Amino acid sequence: MRSMSGYMWADSPLHRAPAVAKLVGLLFCVALVVLASSPLELAAVALGVATLVAVSRVGWRDAARAAWALRWFLLVVLVLNALLFSDVDPIFVLGPAHLTAAGLAQGARIVVRTLLILVLGTLLTATTRPQELVSGVRSVLSPLARLGLPVEVVALAVGVTVQFVPTLLRESRQLMRAQEIRCSGVATRGIMRRAVSYIRLLIPMFVSAIRRADELSAAMEARGYRLSTPRGSDGRVERKVR
Amino acid sequence: MSQVKRIVIAAVCAALCIVLPMAFHSIPNAGATWLPMHIPVMISGLVAGPVAGAVTGLLGPVLSSLLTGMPAAPMVVPMTCELLTYGLVAGLLSTFVRTGIITVDLYVSLIGAMIAGRVVNGVLRALIFSPGAYSLEAWLAASFFTSLVGIVLQFAVVVPIVVSLERAGLVPPRYPEE
Repeated sequence: MRSMSGYMWADSPLHRAPAVAKLVGLLFCVALVVLASSPLELAAVALGVATLVAVSRVGWRDAARAAWALRWFLLVVLVLNALLFSDVDPIFVLGPAHLTAAGLAQGARIVVRTLLILVLGTLLTATTRPQELVSGVRSVLSPLARLGLPVEVVALAVGVTVQFVPTLLRESRQLMRAQEIRCSGVATRGIMRRAVSYIRLLIPMFVSAIRRADELSAAMEARGYRLSTPRGSDGRVERKVR
Repeated sequence: MSQVKRIVIAAVCAALCIVLPMAFHSIPNAGATWLPMHIPVMISGLVAGPVAGAVTGLLGPVLSSLLTGMPAAPMVVPMTCELLTYGLVAGLLSTFVRTGIITVDLYVSLIGAMIAGRVVNGVLRALIFSPGAYSLEAWLAASFFTSLVGIVLQFAVVVPIVVSLERAGLVPPRYPEE
């Protein structure tokens, strides 16, 4: 079963692995994908990613969901590269477009790399709870705090963002449903009328979202949460009541 | 406005950067023409300042790519640079531009941010992301013609939303009454 944040409940070694290890592993795998250039190297990386999908018990269909959503974009990338990458030794010529083997290979390389990175990203979010992801981001970024980067601010912002996505998604659906009831059939109208219907939703969506932000920040401050407080000896932020 | 509230507003706007494109998903090619991700970034900058705007511009595309697969991985870095500039410049201009009329302040900040973000995007693409393969015509087409509907949408909704937030008492008034 898949939650709105992308997490899928299952029991697998990837689900049990710490978020930090998965984040570092993701960076490592993305570097491997980017560095692999020959078909053999790409095939080896693809085999590794397929093994990860099998181990994760996420399922092939769910692991490929993001990649499937981009199928037309990837097809356009493949066609453009095949026709425009090179004009040496063309298989066929159509005006300024030259279909070449080099162009086809370049297009296939870009598409495979993008697919692998999409599947890796999907695996991370499908096997890591949002809260674990946030604490993982905090741990991964913590060395940067020594350079003066506001790691706590970034971690707080990532955490709030990830937790607000399902809430705002639910609210936007409720607003759409309410509008459908009032105006009947938002989703079945023409493109322009549908777009205008969505635009009408923007103001209530923003007012509702900022109201939630206002309530959350008030609650955090009431509990003494301050971003500028020094770190405690146990590594957690000290929360002082004003 | 407290620092905590600024960051929470930035994060909520980043969440809207993920949710709004999903809501617009049923309209074909909505991302490139309607620019739904730009609106929360601009609003974050105008309402909560340059740091919040930059945080929203940074987190919105990165987390959206991770959670929904859009924008596609190769587009994330240039898009992040563009959105970060929108948020940062909108926040900076809204801090420094004070004409005494709220709508004029907001429209000046919005237009300044829209121009700065597009210029930064064009320069980065020409010099770093697509060196030698990016022309002035391509920049003009992508920045102004393809996204004309999105630009009109931003003019139509960003300032009214910020004014609505002020009237609802959710953000401090720009010109408090004596």
